[in-house]
Amino acid sequence: MRIVGMDVGSTTIKAVVVEDGRVSWRDYQRHNTRQAEKAIEFLTRMEQELSLAAGRDLVFFTGSGAGLIGPLVGGKLVQEVVAVAAAVEKLHPHVRFVSEIGGEDMKTLFFNESGAGKTKQVYMQSACSGGTGTFIEKTARKLQIPAEQLAAMPYDGMSLHKVSSKCGIFAEADANTLLKGGVPVEEIIASLFEAVVYQNLATLTKGNTPLPQVLLLGGPNLFFKGLQQAWRQHLTSLWEDRKCILPADADPADMIQVPDDALYYAALGCIEVAGGEADGVGLYQGTERLRWWIDEGQHQEKAKSGAKALVRENDDLSGFKAAFAASRGELAALASCDSPVFIGCDFGSTTAKAVVLGADREILASVYVPSKGNPIEDAKALFRDIRAKARGPVAGLALTGYGKDLLRDILGADIGVVETVAHATSALHVFPDADVICDVGGTDVKIMILRQGTVSDFRLNSQCSSGNGAFLQGVAERYGIALEDYADKAFQAKAMPGLAMGCGVFLQSDIVNQQRKGWSAEEIMASLAAVLPLNVWIYAGQLQNLRAAGRRFVLQGGTHRNMAVVKAQVDFITAKVPDAEILIHPYSGEAGAIGAALCAIEAHDAGRPSSFRGFDAIEVLDYRSTTSEHTICRWCPVNCKRAFIDVKLDGASGRPWSKVPLEEGWERVISGNSCPKGLMEDANEMRAVKTRMEEQRRELPNIGEMVRSEAFRRAWAET
Amino acid sequence: MARWFDRRPSGGHGQRPERAERAKLRIGIPKVLNVWTTHQLWLGFFASLGIPGNRVVFSSDTSEEQGREFGSGRGTVDCCYPVKCISGHYGELVFGQKRKIDILFSPMIYSMPSFLHGHVADSLACPRVMAAPENIKSGFLKEKDVFAEQGIRYVAPLVSLVDPLQVPKQLFIAFEGVLPGLRFEEVREAVDQGYRTLAAFDRELRSRSRRILEWCAREQRPCVMVLARPYHMDAGIGHEIEADLQAHGYPILWMQYFPTDPDLLDWMFGPDIREGYAKSVFDISDVWPSSYSANTNEILWGAKAAARVPWVTCAIRLTSYECGMDQPTFTPVQQIVERSGTLFFSFQELDSTKPAGSVKIRVETIAHYLQRSSRAVMERKAAAMPAGCPLLEKPACRAGGTATADGD
Repeated sequence: MRIVGMDVGSTTIKAVVVEDGRVSWRDYQRHNTRQAEKAIEFLTRMEQELSLAAGRDLVFFTGSGAGLIGPLVGGKLVQEVVAVAAAVEKLHPHVRFVSEIGGEDMKTLFFNESGAGKTKQVYMQSACSGGTGTFIEKTARKLQIPAEQLAAMPYDGMSLHKVSSKCGIFAEADANTLLKGGVPVEEIIASLFEAVVYQNLATLTKGNTPLPQVLLLGGPNLFFKGLQQAWRQHLTSLWEDRKCILPADADPADMIQVPDDALYYAALGCIEVAGGEADGVGLYQGTERLRWWIDEGQHQEKAKSGAKALVRENDDLSGFKAAFAASRGELAALASCDSPVFIGCDFGSTTAKAVVLGADREILASVYVPSKGNPIEDAKALFRDIRAKARGPVAGLALTGYGKDLLRDILGADIGVVETVAHATSALHVFPDADVICDVGGTDVKIMILRQGTVSDFRLNSQCSSGNGAFLQGVAERYGIALEDYADKAFQAKAMPGLAMGCGVFLQSDIVNQQRKGWSAEEIMASLAAVLPLNVWIYAGQLQNLRAAGRRFVLQGGTHRNMAVVKAQVDFITAKVPDAEILIHPYSGEAGAIGAALCAIEAHDAGRPSSFRGFDAIEVLDYRSTTSEHTICRWCPVNCKRAFIDVKLDGASGRPWSKVPLEEGWERVISGNSCPKGLMEDANEMRAVKTRMEEQRRELPNIGEMVRSEAFRRAWAET
Repeated sequence: MARWFDRRPSGGHGQRPERAERAKLRIGIPKVLNVWTTHQLWLGFFASLGIPGNRVVFSSDTSEEQGREFGSGRGTVDCCYPVKCISGHYGELVFGQKRKIDILFSPMIYSMPSFLHGHVADSLACPRVMAAPENIKSGFLKEKDVFAEQGIRYVAPLVSLVDPLQVPKQLFIAFEGVLPGLRFEEVREAVDQGYRTLAAFDRELRSRSRRILEWCAREQRPCVMVLARPYHMDAGIGHEIEADLQAHGYPILWMQYFPTDPDLLDWMFGPDIREGYAKSVFDISDVWPSSYSANTNEILWGAKAAARVPWVTCAIRLTSYECGMDQPTFTPVQQIVERSGTLFFSFQELDSTKPAGSVKIRVETIAHYLQRSSRAVMERKAAAMPAGCPLLEKPACRAGGTATADGD
């Protein structure tokens, strides 16, 4: 009798066949989202090569695809963690910690001696790509690193850079930025290995110490030498910190093993489990039903399982389009060349935008430049465009976005307006009693809840890419469809697959899967638009109760230019808040800049003259950029290679204390940092800023501070 | 009331050799959870037993470094960060002291000495918070008994602080055999001393709060009131968010130490009582009938107070990630504050990391609205309150304390 253990994973299938307690056959292959086809191929080969026979031999299945495929061939299902644990207990009785990393999941197992037996503690996550194999491969593909080269790339001895460990899509973006900044691909890949180990330890140890001996399993752990090195580095230093007692003369690094058959442990575990089952369980029934499912069943299922289309039968699409398209804003004409104008600029992380308002708050011009990473050059380009369009004298300038503090003095802005206030001011200007603003941009999702004319709550998600517009755009590009045509395509769909809310990376593979089931581009695009509100409000925004947030919803941000998204948003919001009023900001993408300009008008009305430096002055801004050993950010181990951009500016105080000293009459702008901390040059500046802040604090009391400083010293009555 | 603060002689047992032995002990207390409002009770208690303040060691403020260095691998499966972080505090007290501690004292505070007690259904601590020491200690016992290995006695008694008659018994049982020559009488006296010490501290901080309010009233300047649980004062839990606002030019009050002087409270709540909405100045049954939790009760009362004082133009709510105690209070607290026209902002889901970017944006947002609306808020609130505000009529003339609000 032969026993088959088959592990149908998210990216590969691994199978072993055991005959008389000996492994007589094994293989693993990628299935490229065709799990059933690959499984049937494996079984057919076993029939041919080993005479696997229906009605005699046993098949045991595990892995994420087992639930579908196993029953079709008579297989018995074994839970993945149970399978891995069974194999480890059999083959490695001394192992205390196992990490198994798969394509789209990760698991940790802790074995503890407990009396005569052993206790197991098991953790697994499969909701997010952070920490899984896909996380590494996705970026490696983008960097065009062949698989063999990736497998051999080292971790040891590489300098590491900041890469988002939580989100595969952001990691890819980080990798892109690093690449543009001249970081060698080897260092980027090493940083990815670091991120994966970090993410596994951070989310899947839950207070347990991974003690020796350690077993690393699963494809990524087996294939990527660098990942193994990263584990060794982290675990041995952890053991040193925790003063773990290792066997005498043992090299800590030897306590971490990666068996040659690390891929097959779940499959081997199936065989272990099979040994304890009653006769007849898992009896192989041949491939007929699986064949039927591939040829017909899955298509029938497609017809049944699909959700209703974005446009339902009795929906009035033209009415919807008319209602929401009508709110697109137009530019007004300038009354006369000498009427004063107000400029609002929004310096975002990927683009810089500006609008010009007339004194009556009418919009005269709107300009946009993509950010090139040098804020001074971005500002020059933006103001060149503004100058071409706005002829009146500039009576006020306001900045918002990340550049508001950086560029305020350099451009001579009258005020810096925090993003939330800019967005709220702009939304309230158009819709005076708005309750909620939902801004979906390219790389982030912002939700602002307004009350009493203020922003009372605010959700920003820039850690996870789920729900943002870049993803939608990426999929459209892959189908070769222009973003402007997205909505029309999506509206054509008569049905659509149900995509699961959550991680964007997995959404991508889910899309491949749905495509394979026969869903067309239009249908998939419709379902992507339909899942976006879930990702925006619930997954990324963590806002479950829309009703409590309000009734009047303003949608803005570039992604809401896509009417398919608007339609999905309208359906989603009205399902939760039946009497909701949904408003599209007429200037979806420029809302921040408009808000800033409105604040500039408010400041001007309060009698403040403008300190704008003038177009000419900005055009000839003299600056020099330094990137050296001394500009490297030392705030955290990521060590961003920043650029110090020094701008000549009358009256600027310079930075005599800096490692890259700056004389009087120059102002410094820091760029190339990946977090706000990097805007601070070093400890010298930190001290200066801290002292200034403490002085400000000393001026006014804080009862909490008094508790912090006085309550824990000695008994009050004693003093 | 003045007699409360009279110094008492420390009793006749100063000469006993056991007390000299005790004075050599070092006691470590994790500076966590409700220790943030009962600190002085413990300091007074130990002082009375012959262990001076300089031998009582509190752990440092919570920090991620502390957690990494001393707590990692000993954590618990608990989404409540104020509980979870205690592993780091225990670890710091056990491993991170230059001079070793002999006793790790981590009280399981079942009920709290709340100023609202007697006006509310009860003054209990959150059950998860109360049981935290049990939860955390397992991380130090699971693999081996770390306390025994380090020669530390672990003392974690259940204490019902709202019931001062119970406490001596609870603490005597806990410390008998741990503190040399301990007698029940001594413990009873020490508990009394603890309560007196705590009361003295609270009274001083309330009087400072009053002076801040008087200064605001006199100068027509706005201030900000924090509505949060006591441990949000911990720089690693509340992330000093209120201090960022302070740096924008606003004095900061914490609801826990709001002045409770009868003249002020009568001015604030008298009309409600006379019209039959409230039974006393500390009554919260009008807004929170199931008033069992001390910290929750105080937050609700704080919201009522913030709503009534014209110079409190903004209330800040801090809550930790997934706090089940706070969740049902979000709407009532917000509405109580906002109905009065006071600005209200909440920082929810605080966790281990200070979300520096988002906090900066929020603080700047709040500062913007405070600057724009404070004057109007003060005027509107003042118009809704009765004449004769004692904050305006009685200039500060209280003894003790060092805080000044007149710094500008």
